[in-house]
Amino acid sequence: MKTKRQIQKEATRKLILDTAYQVYASEGFSATTNQIARAANLSHGTIFVHFPTVENLIICLLERFGLEINAQFHLLAEKDESLETFLAAHISVLIRYEDFYKRLISEINVLPQEAKYVFINIQSVVSFHLNQVIERDQEKETIKEIPMHIVFNSWLGLIHYYLTNSYLFAAGSVLTDHKDELILNYIKLIRK
Amino acid sequence: MKTCIACGMPMKKESDFAMGDTSKAYCIYCAKEDGSMQSFEEKKQSLVNFTIKTQGLDKAVAEKAVENMMRQLPAWKAFF
Ligand SMILES: [Zn+2]
Repeated sequence: MKTKRQIQKEATRKLILDTAYQVYASEGFSATTNQIARAANLSHGTIFVHFPTVENLIICLLERFGLEINAQFHLLAEKDESLETFLAAHISVLIRYEDFYKRLISEINVLPQEAKYVFINIQSVVSFHLNQVIERDQEKETIKEIPMHIVFNSWLGLIHYYLTNSYLFAAGSVLTDHKDELILNYIKLIRK
Repeated sequence: MKTCIACGMPMKKESDFAMGDTSKAYCIYCAKEDGSMQSFEEKKQSLVNFTIKTQGLDKAVAEKAVENMMRQLPAWKAFF
């Protein structure tokens, strides 16, 4: 049984992570722990009771984010689905986290090394499912002979380009506005 | 729902489990042909190769990322 103190401690930890998620999504990862403390209505010191350093906070947040988003990719992906359905599912998950994900891909190069590995592992779940779909289509010879990593990186490159430059393409959610166009034309590029 | 202890994949259907046996704690991708679970080195190698094949990563980067992921899985706690 958890003590009242433990329950309280876990609730505060969750509040810090939830607030950090919101603050980073709207301000980027250069937002300070002071900003996060203020938004969570906590004293600045409380944050460091739970997370000794900013790096630690960011890594814990990304690990939690990775688990959550990966669970959704896994749940949405089906072995026998079409390429269209899979790509639509990928985008539909990203739309749920669009502001945060956009910050993440724009700023990944300045985040701690460990954060980059968490990021790779988020992409691994997507590449795992895409690979199943593509291998099946390659057997049916409906897909051009392109190495798997180029198939994957081209898709990611396309949606990441639209996300990081969303001001060029949409006033609101760029993925919502352009998902159909991106899926349709990406498939045209790789299908025989 | 059960999650594979060796790779973290949720096991939704019978066919996701090793040997289609829902009492198993690991998935079909983490099983050897005889149904037993792959060793740490086997799993690590196959994940590294898979990451390189599907994402085109540099080998050293792929190894680090795979270790980072395996560290969090219940099956490999003893290796870190
Ligand atoms: Zn597994």
